[in-house]
Amino acid sequence: MEIIEENQSGINIFKLNGRLDSNTSQGFEKKIFQAIDDGSKSMIIDFKDLEYISSAGLRVILKATKALKREEGKMMLCDMQDYVKEVFEIAGFDSFLRIVGTMDDAIQSF
Amino acid sequence: MAKNKVSFKLKSKLSELDTLCQHLERFGQSIGLSPKCIFEANLALDELFTNIITYGFDDKKEHTIEVTISHQNNKLIFNIEDDGIPFNPTKVDTPDLECTIEECKIGGLGIHLAKNLMDEVCYQRCKKKNILTLKKNIKEAEPAKKRMKG
Repeated sequence: MEIIEENQSGINIFKLNGRLDSNTSQGFEKKIFQAIDDGSKSMIIDFKDLEYISSAGLRVILKATKALKREEGKMMLCDMQDYVKEVFEIAGFDSFLRIVGTMDDAIQSF
Repeated sequence: MAKNKVSFKLKSKLSELDTLCQHLERFGQSIGLSPKCIFEANLALDELFTNIITYGFDDKKEHTIEVTISHQNNKLIFNIEDDGIPFNPTKVDTPDLECTIEECKIGGLGIHLAKNLMDEVCYQRCKKKNILTLKKNIKEAEPAKKRMKG
């Protein structure tokens, strides 16, 4: 999996490309927690090019969202393919994670 | 004609998830499954496989997990066999899905996903092996299409 990190007006954006599973989730966890340790409080995860996610990926997103919340930060998720979004729904995560349609919607929410 | 059955062996390491995905995609495409159906089958098998290799073995040896996928009468049937410690995923409690973010725990979530994406999940312990049989109904709108030339 490829992770592209960008910073746009103080928001850390992570663009995920490929498959987020138990094989690749550790690398993602490291990057996202590095950003939290560096003081990032605003984050967007862009799912546009993410083909696949398993519970290992959900775990990292849950953990990071909790950590950010403790720091009074905020995380937005955007641009999911329907079947990726369905995984969040089956897990019940759509009730407390903030999932929006497009990157513009995500940026405007800050 | 597309074969309606495929069997393969996976080693007990996480990098084998890619091998699992490749086999599944090749088989799924050969019988004309939709990308969504391949995705769901992949996720269910991934969660069960990851669970087996994470919790299933109490030694450091390399083990083999055998997977068979077959297609018959609008059903996909998956068989997963491992020689790990006895474990019945059908008995795992569903996590509390109504919880708040603070209460939310990740344990049991993978198995919950797998059960949701399959229509049937059966477990047997036989000859010191865990045998999981999963069934997924596929819609009639997804038959293997033959390409016609000319």
